[in-house]
Amino acid sequence: MSQTGTPSSESPPLPTEAVAPEAPTAPRPPASPATVLANLKKKDTSKVVVRFRAIGNAPILKQNFYKISASNKFMAVIQFLRKELNYQPSDPLFLYVNSAFSPAPDETVTNLYKCFNTDGRLIINYCTSPAWG
Amino acid sequence: MYTSAITRAVWDGSIPIQFTWDKAEANALGSTAVESFFVEAPRCSYFSLLTSQVRKHFVDMALHFIGDDAEVWYDYEGTPLKWHYPIGLLYDLHGIQASSNKPGARETLLPWKVTVHFQNFPADRLIKSQAVDICQDYFMSMIKEADFLRNGSTKKVMNMSKADQTQLWDGLWSNNYDRFWEMNKKLVTNDGASPRHLPMRIYLPENCPVIQEPVSPVDENDRPRSLRQVLNVALPDLFPLDQDPSTPPPATAMVHGVTPSLDTGAVWASQNMSYPDNFLHIVVLFNS
Repeated sequence: MSQTGTPSSESPPLPTEAVAPEAPTAPRPPASPATVLANLKKKDTSKVVVRFRAIGNAPILKQNFYKISASNKFMAVIQFLRKELNYQPSDPLFLYVNSAFSPAPDETVTNLYKCFNTDGRLIINYCTSPAWG
Repeated sequence: MYTSAITRAVWDGSIPIQFTWDKAEANALGSTAVESFFVEAPRCSYFSLLTSQVRKHFVDMALHFIGDDAEVWYDYEGTPLKWHYPIGLLYDLHGIQASSNKPGARETLLPWKVTVHFQNFPADRLIKSQAVDICQDYFMSMIKEADFLRNGSTKKVMNMSKADQTQLWDGLWSNNYDRFWEMNKKLVTNDGASPRHLPMRIYLPENCPVIQEPVSPVDENDRPRSLRQVLNVALPDLFPLDQDPSTPPPATAMVHGVTPSLDTGAVWASQNMSYPDNFLHIVVLFNS
């Protein structure tokens, strides 16, 4: 609990694509389904703050906070953490949101952040054996 | 409160599926005349739970397959089918939604023609699991995620005994409505407390990212919201509140292959029309 850090732009970022233009705010006449779809499919270039917390004997990261692209799938978070920990694919690693559940790798960071952030941070616990089974 | 006539109808929903062995795989092994396998699959079930039957059929026919069931995968018209999505959701997405702008296509969808693969698992497009019982872990994780949305914690699930938690999966796996609902009703009715947020996911066409937002079941004045109102929070242009009943709406919401009235209460819909994973999976069709 005492370990703190600050969200920093120096944090190793996850790969992102070229910056897309800002999505326009909804125009007054309702947008057509095609427009709604096109806007939703535009790459969300915003980033969210993720806080990693080691559980049990899992190794601790050099920093606790990272900025991660909201458009990423949770899979990218898993891969990012594995890289930071220098883990091989065969090393067991389990990730949980809010010490509560393990999202599927195809869930998006933006949805997890919107639904489960705590004070503007998505808290991800990780451990080397299953917890909260 | 939940209405057993509806939850029973949702549970009993099924889809006839025709499984055909991938032609390229069959040709490579010189087994071109292998017959399809037909099954009436519960909408609420998962492809992983059908794999042992499917595998047995093709092994009995000709196939020499000694791999793990987790290597078996399925596609519909070239799109790999996610084993961690309920079958009914996959059909509504890749069958009904994908063909909704093709006149007459829906009439020929059934039996749903699904291709089976025993090789070349597309690990870049589907989650690769080590074992089929991983499906149970994913299912329970969805139940916990839903509980977290309703209550801000997973206490309701975690306070259930291990046996009671397992009964949820066993009920689903053995297609036993009473076993499943004996436990599930404790979760979905939330002991009568109003849920904080509704466990809901919205699926738009063309591989649009899935929408999941923390939507409250009540409005600013604490009045219960309807399905239209919760959809309006996420997609105001597609589900306008002032929809003129004499003109066709821009979009239709489908759950379990049917289009419920959008005046349905959102909490009631969540309790009665969610999949067993406790999520209301809403497939959106555009009305062109």
